Amino acid sequence: MADDVVDVLIIGAGASGAAVAWSLADTRMRIVCFEQGDWTKPAEYPSTAANWESQAYGPYHIDPNVRGRDTDYPINNDDSAVTVVNFNGVGGSTILYGAHFPRLHPSDFKVKTLDGVADDWPIDYDTLEPYFAVNDRMMGVSGLAGDPMYPPKQPPLPPLPLGLVGETVARGFNKLGWHWWPSDSAIISQPYRGRDKCVNLGPCISGCAQGGKSSTDITYWPEAIRRGVELRTRCRVREITVNEHGFANGVVYYDAAGEERFQRAEVVVMACNGVGTPRILLNSQSAQFPNGLANSSGLVGKNLMFHPIAFAQGFFDERLDSHKGPQACCILSKQFYESDPARGFVRGYNMQITRGAGPLSTAMAGYVGGTIPWGPGHHAAFRRRFDHVASIGILCEDLPEECNTVTLDPTRVDSNGIPAPKITYRYSDNSLRMMEHGQARAVEVLRAAGARDVTSAGALRTSGWHLLGTARTGDDPQRSVVNRWGRSHDVKNLFIVDGSVFVTGGGVNPASTIQAWALYVADTMKKNLANLFD
Amino acid sequence: MPDVISTDHPLTREQRAVLPALLDTLVPASEDGAMPSAADVAFDAYLREQASDFVPRLVAALQHFEPSFAGLSLAERCERVRDFSAADPPLFQMLLTRVYDCYYQDDRVRAQIGVAAGAPFPHGNRVPSGDLSLLDPVIANAARHAYRQA
Repeated sequence: MADDVVDVLIIGAGASGAAVAWSLADTRMRIVCFEQGDWTKPAEYPSTAANWESQAYGPYHIDPNVRGRDTDYPINNDDSAVTVVNFNGVGGSTILYGAHFPRLHPSDFKVKTLDGVADDWPIDYDTLEPYFAVNDRMMGVSGLAGDPMYPPKQPPLPPLPLGLVGETVARGFNKLGWHWWPSDSAIISQPYRGRDKCVNLGPCISGCAQGGKSSTDITYWPEAIRRGVELRTRCRVREITVNEHGFANGVVYYDAAGEERFQRAEVVVMACNGVGTPRILLNSQSAQFPNGLANSSGLVGKNLMFHPIAFAQGFFDERLDSHKGPQACCILSKQFYESDPARGFVRGYNMQITRGAGPLSTAMAGYVGGTIPWGPGHHAAFRRRFDHVASIGILCEDLPEECNTVTLDPTRVDSNGIPAPKITYRYSDNSLRMMEHGQARAVEVLRAAGARDVTSAGALRTSGWHLLGTARTGDDPQRSVVNRWGRSHDVKNLFIVDGSVFVTGGGVNPASTIQAWALYVADTMKKNLANLFD
Repeated sequence: MPDVISTDHPLTREQRAVLPALLDTLVPASEDGAMPSAADVAFDAYLREQASDFVPRLVAALQHFEPSFAGLSLAERCERVRDFSAADPPLFQMLLTRVYDCYYQDDRVRAQIGVAAGAPFPHGNRVPSGDLSLLDPVIANAARHAYRQA
């Protein structure tokens, strides 16, 4: 096996790894992807069983520390205000994501120029625009053209149903004269490319048995494999190795039996998300790279960004059938997306209107919150809340700070003995003020929509879906890890295509932009094959 | 507790006597009779088929209650359960989660709260597409809502 050289080795089969594999397949190079997890089986997703809610708290829990599959790695969140959530397997976190699929805005790439904070990206929205469009078609995105808050774009499928939740909250926005629009969603509203449409099961974030949700195991991967890409599951990479010239020459990994193996490669592409990628880079120490690979800037693992999340819930007299339909995808508002100095913070947030939970979650949340008692008062209180709720998530832009980090845990390891990532993260004052502002505005909307009872909370802890910034892109090798097309400044055959490269995070879910970046990097590689390492 | 109680049942006879009363205390039938008591859904089957790992914790919870618990009035039973929830909040929350999990899977209960019986897949749900003319004010004010140029 030691002489078995692949042209391109991709590490990670999630959102970005799938996209880059599919695009690079054009080259007819020998492309192999290593994925530490398995293929998931839709027939085993919780929504195929009556106890789908409790299953979502077990083997399909969003927190890997709770889920505890042997394909997961532990994450030390003890020193973090936010806990990391993810999924490890073919499709990565798209298996469990909500599929809310907005793009970053043009302004998100220029925050230094526009608002004097953080840094600009070395590329702009127009650079990624063609790749956004390709990605929308490959994934299958539903939405409505014409949103004035974006440059023109045309989702390939009509929007998902607003439902009573969407209509009700939309009326609240209209009363206040605020922006709203049907969300772009990576969920197909009509049959598309051999997949049947969404049937409004509800529990998207424990896997979609219908296949209506666009996870990359059913979008990019089947096409990439048909085009010759080899996907190997249960291959967990420990470190990337380098030759005497400072080029990556392969990876050390563990196979399904736990045996240590080595795979040679001409090019290595990292697609392990904003926690997994710095973890492997920092663990790839050598005499040439004593502080970890591609880390001459010292920025690998630094500038970790999540999206601080607050939320509000409104309870209405009328029944909204809240538990029906894609929970995270309904409508959104960009009313407070851009900076306004009068608000007391810089940058802004997205308001994501979400549908309700199932009965078990409703009952337990009501117990914990003191609104639905057990005992004689249970039924009446339950009936007033279940299916009568609309929620608004406040997804705030999180500016990069070097004190927010991913490092290697000195003691905790995964089942192969690889150091676990340790997260060190605190909210900035700017983020706290932004969440507070968003909570108040969300309450305002829900009251305008007619809610009789509104609650809100800030700083949701189990919310680290979006893992960004820990190997940022830039033109200055002292201030960035990869260049403007994803190639390491230090190791010229090492590329990064996941959310690690984000210079700033914007105020929207990042999956669409991560995948557009991966397609852009792949396209740039293809255009520069003759001088890829110059 | 409609299920057969066999000799290899994991609960003692005393615990088996207390359990229905405890379930009925946590979720009694509704006054109009539309919603059944949690004692009248198949909790034994639930334990066997979905929650066998919970049995040791259930036994621990039942140890908080005397055999006479079953003979108390609802108000008195509620008082005892409140004492238990204060004495061991994590165990009580675990118990309540399991009771609700079982209860809200019951077809009669689901019918009453407007949730389809069984698994969500493959039948799914009908959701109205909604009135997109609600966007008219947003479109009319497109200039005010225009994205920020960069």
